Amino acid sequence: MEEAGLVSTGIALVEEHARKIKPPRILSVPFNFGNTLGEVNNPSFQHEILEATFDLLDRAEGPVLEIFETDEIERVVLSRSEVKTAAVSKKEDTFVELANIEANYEKWLGMNKGRTAVGLSSIGIDQFPAVVAFLKEFIAGNTNDSEIRPEQFSIAHFIRYCVDDLKSYYLESRIAVDPKASMNELYRWLWSETAMGDLLGELAEVMNESEDKEVKAVAFGIAR
Amino acid sequence: MPKLEILSQPQREMLLNWPSPENEDSPWTPMIKPLSECKIALVTTAGLHVRGDKPFTTAKNGGDASFRVIPRVTDPANIVQSHTSIGFDRTSIYKDINITFPIDRLNELVALGKIGSLSDNYYSFMGALRNISGLTDEYGPKVAKNLLDEQVDVVLLTPT
Repeated sequence: MEEAGLVSTGIALVEEHARKIKPPRILSVPFNFGNTLGEVNNPSFQHEILEATFDLLDRAEGPVLEIFETDEIERVVLSRSEVKTAAVSKKEDTFVELANIEANYEKWLGMNKGRTAVGLSSIGIDQFPAVVAFLKEFIAGNTNDSEIRPEQFSIAHFIRYCVDDLKSYYLESRIAVDPKASMNELYRWLWSETAMGDLLGELAEVMNESEDKEVKAVAFGIAR
Repeated sequence: MPKLEILSQPQREMLLNWPSPENEDSPWTPMIKPLSECKIALVTTAGLHVRGDKPFTTAKNGGDASFRVIPRVTDPANIVQSHTSIGFDRTSIYKDINITFPIDRLNELVALGKIGSLSDNYYSFMGALRNISGLTDEYGPKVAKNLLDEQVDVVLLTPT
């Protein structure tokens, strides 16, 4: 950008990397990945971060690395292997669970102006039961492809986008009924209290053993 | 990130061993007019794109270095995230897109007169690339050219 004649300023989440890369102007913030501007739905705090980032434009020379100081941040724990607590013995069947949270998802859409992270796979939520049926057959080793897979996606990426959609569907539904749940509480719920969490854990294990290199490469992100 | 010392050992080691480039210095373009007269563009590495656009992929050669164009007027309901990294929280951007892609905050700064104007297009890459040659040799310069063609003065870079 700067070589082309543009002025740049930005935010870094890993101070150690910023020190190596030496961008022209960078504000290092101590927030969890996925939380660059600090706090959701807190415009004044987000403006504070942006103001500190734009203030770097006043410097006469660089590279400039400024540290944004704030209170200690709790580490967010995302992965199933780290989060999963004692298994909840009585869980719904995955198909029943899917059907049961639909009303919560509708509530989410209502409270979030229709905005949803669901949609990467291009599979509608009405087809989620068919996706789950396919994933169960895939885990059982009975199939390695799906008739609902759009042509533009490889099987590995189709699975990944479906899983991203299912995780978003579940987590958004959960936020709708428990808006104050922390990030860690949300991931703990998904991985330890839902049948979907168990299904995705099994899927990751099966994909990780796959001889298809692309499927194996995608496996790592399935249960996180 | 929170301080490295409170991360799990695998996370800490992954970040410390990440193959980020090491530079001695950086190119520098000076500011020649006040921010209140500048046109700003938002460029993110959050792996965002317009719904229906091609999602980012898990590429074999160290990551998908391509970019997506997000017109500034895009309804946030039509912006989705397909970043392939496994190591970041998604729930915050579900709740508030501004957490990594501060489109509302930038509009507010224009309304307040603190920045001059905004580019018609924003750009999105995927971060966490293990091989940045596609970014430095091809896609980065393309985006820079597009921004210059739009008479952009200042680029705001946000990660996720």
